[in-house]
Amino acid sequence: MNVTQSAMPSVGQHEVLMEASPYGIEKKKLGMWMFIVSDACTFGAFLFAYGYMRVGNPVWGTPFGPASVLNGVVMTAVLLSSSLTMLAAVRAAQTGAKPSTKKWLGVTMLLGTIFAALHLKEWFSLIGEGWRLFYNPTGGAAQFGATFFSVTGLHLTHVVTGVIALAFIARGYNRGRYDQSHVETAGLYWHFVDLVWMFVFPLMYLMNAH
Amino acid sequence: MSSNRELSMSSYVGIGVGLMVIVAIEVVLTYQHLETRTLLFSLLSLACLEAFVAVMYLMHVKYERPILFWTIFPATLFVLILLCYLWPDAFRMASMRLLQ
Repeated sequence: MNVTQSAMPSVGQHEVLMEASPYGIEKKKLGMWMFIVSDACTFGAFLFAYGYMRVGNPVWGTPFGPASVLNGVVMTAVLLSSSLTMLAAVRAAQTGAKPSTKKWLGVTMLLGTIFAALHLKEWFSLIGEGWRLFYNPTGGAAQFGATFFSVTGLHLTHVVTGVIALAFIARGYNRGRYDQSHVETAGLYWHFVDLVWMFVFPLMYLMNAH
Repeated sequence: MSSNRELSMSSYVGIGVGLMVIVAIEVVLTYQHLETRTLLFSLLSLACLEAFVAVMYLMHVKYERPILFWTIFPATLFVLILLCYLWPDAFRMASMRLLQ
């Protein structure tokens, strides 16, 4: 059994023998990876359901003009930039630079909020044109609204949850309750949200551009 | 525990710029009036490339032990590939509508 000194925490006067993790990462990080796998399957199922209905319905709505596509490109740039600022926050946390970590976490939260605002702008624009969950104002397949609002809504929920989680992490890190591993784990989640958008943008926006 | 072989911040910015270039290619392809299937295949291929770069570099899998990659990714890909069983039925629905 591979037992390391660091993997033998003491409880009272006794030492507990624990086998070292074969992954070489902390439990919380492995837990986040497990969550990411399950979430990837959830998004995969949503996107496959969208693809199924898209292919099965010859008259599909294509409501996105160049302005919406440009909005989507800006949203992508904002989310990608937030991934880079999150990396900067993780780097700062690894070196123990508290002010820098707080600053970069703050910038990441700001970019996440901008992304959510741009997302809602797109939603309200579509709703203003008459698109609803089960109604297509152009007379085509009614499922466009259901698939678009559910997939992008699920992603938006992840972004908003991420911003709230980062706020808690930043507060806890500032108070010394959380350490760099918490920032790293939150970063993993944030990059996953970015990764999902890399599929949502081309499939939901570009495939429905006119 | 990530190793010390990680990239510098400027390299990560380069990766970010590279990912934005792929997004720009996706937008250009969208307005090339390609057949729907060709466009879908092209966009999905580029999205998979972006996701691979993001997982390996932004999510640091490249710098973790290989067992993490081999535990997580084949299983996830297997689940996602299994969902492809749905496609023939979707094409059947489309052809049924054309016959009507």
